[in-house]
Amino acid sequence: MSGPMRRIETDLLVVGGGPAGLEAARAAAEAGIAVDLVDAGFRPGGQYWMQDPTGAAPLSVQGEEGAAAIAKSQASGVAFHAGAEVFAAFPDRRVLANTADGPIEFVPRAIIVATGAHDRAMPFPGWTLPGVMTPGAGQRLAKLGGASAGERVVLAGSGPFLLAVAETLVKLGKPPVALIEARHTDLAIIAHLARHPGRWREAARLLVAARAIPERRSGWIVTEAIGDERVTAIRIAPVDRSGRIDRDRSETIGGIDALLVGWGFRPMIELTALLRCRHEHDPALGGWHCITDRASGRTSVEGVYAAGEVTGIAGAVPARLSGRLAGLSAAADLGADTAGDESERASLGEQLARARAFSDGLGRLYAPPADLATLAQDDTIVCRCEEITRAEIASAFAAGTDAVAGAKIWTRAGMGRCQGRICGAAIADIAAAETGITPREAGFNPPRIPLRPVPLSAVLEATRDGQE
Amino acid sequence: MSALVTIDLDGRAVEAEAGRPLGALLHRELNAVLRHTAKDGAPRGLFCGMGVCFDCLVRVDGREGVRACVTPIRAGMRVETVRS
Repeated sequence: MSGPMRRIETDLLVVGGGPAGLEAARAAAEAGIAVDLVDAGFRPGGQYWMQDPTGAAPLSVQGEEGAAAIAKSQASGVAFHAGAEVFAAFPDRRVLANTADGPIEFVPRAIIVATGAHDRAMPFPGWTLPGVMTPGAGQRLAKLGGASAGERVVLAGSGPFLLAVAETLVKLGKPPVALIEARHTDLAIIAHLARHPGRWREAARLLVAARAIPERRSGWIVTEAIGDERVTAIRIAPVDRSGRIDRDRSETIGGIDALLVGWGFRPMIELTALLRCRHEHDPALGGWHCITDRASGRTSVEGVYAAGEVTGIAGAVPARLSGRLAGLSAAADLGADTAGDESERASLGEQLARARAFSDGLGRLYAPPADLATLAQDDTIVCRCEEITRAEIASAFAAGTDAVAGAKIWTRAGMGRCQGRICGAAIADIAAAETGITPREAGFNPPRIPLRPVPLSAVLEATRDGQE
Repeated sequence: MSALVTIDLDGRAVEAEAGRPLGALLHRELNAVLRHTAKDGAPRGLFCGMGVCFDCLVRVDGREGVRACVTPIRAGMRVETVRS
């Protein structure tokens, strides 16, 4: 099926072609370092700088910005490997990525992990019905697929990203029929925005998009998706300022064909976890995230750097800044003597701190409601891959385990193809509800090789060279 | 800019734009239902849309377990949905 495995020795391997990865790669390449960049997408840009796959004009300002960043990165001499999905990494910094033409083994002197984030999904009755998707999925359908998720779409959950999706759907001529935001509108958001004038233009743009949505509610939450073969209606209920859901005042919204529901993002830590970098847990930063020295992007593992969302959810501005910082410091550590002078790096560090203050504040303002973990009922599927219900997971905690990894062994929850990327955090919340420990104490499932399913031929090629 | 190509979807010819995600096409053509699960026989469709959740699995050119959401449409590809 595939020939001998390609082997690429390089100074620096950047994993991820979004804002953080592209900036990191360009900074290091311009400092004279040999840089290879792997990205799982067929065109670089990541989720934020998503590029139209047909080559059509970008649907958004982000697309235009991304096209410029990709062009600059390419001009700096970075070697791009698109459509390459990383499925293994080893302590000696070898990284294996699978492509349509078989696996590639990278042997870099240093790695920058810029793997980004995915939507923060939480289980609730009906969330496995076709037509129920994450807001990110709706955004990709629109930007990559050129189509709306449905004719009558409801956007729900919490956070500013819902407005970004609304903006895309409005541009497609398919404005959502309703926006159900769990957070109450209050002065705290206005006060937060007031402190960051650099973000006013963006906020204004998003609010214009929101005005095209006929029904907008704040302080409401979707408690159930209803349908046989696909979603046709939802139940919603008010949620008070302390996060308690009032089911006695439930209402039904019918006649819909898609529900995009999400609670912000989670850092994609599988690679940094596999490389044994230190991680911490903070709900405002999306949960588990890789700890870095903010001034350099260094992780706790020598030769491994991280930038962007994997270091805690903060958005595109901090991603670019932290990417450039990581690229410059990796280049300097690899021996480049022109890799950003002290004053440039200090200035980048100050800009990053300011940008992060804005995002951290938003993360705290849009924290998911306290009752979110109570939405899943006994018979609600929590682990989508293995079809494990909340009751089955609760029984594992009743029987004595108090960890996400324990629930996996006892019930298979998290053992499927997604390796618990979708359900792991929900299981930690269930552990907290059932045992009284914190979600942090419940931990997460350590990633396993292969991180993503790969053809057996790729594994055989990889293990032939890399017997551990 | 984009080329219209024909693919084989469960034995019928379907026109689509090359390069766009297969998942987007299937979402439309199959009324959102991409498969039924092995254990409960429950319908599933696109969920994460970005290759993370593995809910949109189909068979492409005889290969099992292909994520439709991250698979670009190519001329002549043979797509089979898996219904249990």
